[in-house]
Amino acid sequence: MRWRDPVFVCLISALSVVPAASEEAGVSVRDAWIRETPPGMTMMAGYMELRNNTSRPQVLVAASSSGFESVMMHRTVVRNGLAGMEHLSQIELAPNASLIFAPGGNHLMLMNPKLALRAGDAVVVKLEFRGGPVLPVTFAVRK
Amino acid sequence: MNKISLKFSIMITTVALAAMLAGVWLAEIYRQHDSGAMLLPDRVMTLFPDPKPLTAFALTDDKNRVFDLASLKGKWSFLFFGFTHCPDVCPTTLAVLARARDNIARNKVGAENIQFVFISVDPNRDTASKLRQYVEYFDESFVGVTGDDAQIGNLAGQLGATYQVAITPGLENYPVYHTTAVFLVDPRARSHAVFTPPHDAEAISKRFKVVRELEAGNAT
Repeated sequence: MRWRDPVFVCLISALSVVPAASEEAGVSVRDAWIRETPPGMTMMAGYMELRNNTSRPQVLVAASSSGFESVMMHRTVVRNGLAGMEHLSQIELAPNASLIFAPGGNHLMLMNPKLALRAGDAVVVKLEFRGGPVLPVTFAVRK
Repeated sequence: MNKISLKFSIMITTVALAAMLAGVWLAEIYRQHDSGAMLLPDRVMTLFPDPKPLTAFALTDDKNRVFDLASLKGKWSFLFFGFTHCPDVCPTTLAVLARARDNIARNKVGAENIQFVFISVDPNRDTASKLRQYVEYFDESFVGVTGDDAQIGNLAGQLGATYQVAITPGLENYPVYHTTAVFLVDPRARSHAVFTPPHDAEAISKRFKVVRELEAGNAT
């Protein structure tokens, strides 16, 4: 069968897998980065700008990465000057709108990296949306 | 009737002139200090009009040396409460403080008599060696400090900081809540000012320049 042709499969993968996933979710991601941490630290934070290009709400329900033991969605909340973190089980992206993960706000909490990550490295995090679409996003590690 | 209205208009003119002069004066002070921090309600820094002297406390630094009231004397100290397992607020704040220190070091008075102190409210996980490794990543000169809960609480309470460590059996990443403000203690170990988030390196170093100049002016 044609599908078994490795060159063809590679071509299909190269041309379509990432964009197809993103099209399916209808969400694009910009400026995805992970803050480099001091050596030996096991908690990292990931930031990005998500854009919902569709006219329906899109709901981010999970994130995962083979580079980390676990990934969670968190939000830093400050009440009466006291900061803490809130776990988010999902985040809704309004139609045709952007949602920002930035220091002091929403972030991906990336725990126990399997390899030490330094500025200049890159790691893929898969974002899962309600209904099944999965969007692989390359995060750049930087200071 | 005419007399009253004449008096009234003179009064209005006087008020208007006074307001203009005040405006000019404010603008001049603003220009001199490169910042409106001293006179206008400021979102970056609150300067205490009557700085309160801190009283004795006993903590330990990241080289296992005593860090107490004497450690605050003779230099300006920027104090920030946090913990090393904090992925978002603490590294963000320490990175800002490192840039603020660079800015301060570049101006002519320099950063000789300034220290930046990261006070861990999580001594359970933050040992001296971990703290050392953590703070020096941001800046070689930064000092990590921690101690027992009573002593952290003692200093935090004096500065107006709060924190809560919710140690939960079986939960590796237990939640820790902490004040996000940065506290400025003056060389006489008095609580001098507080910087409120969101923190910005430029804003902090500019305000500090003003504070230090004012304090130098007061001392002479």
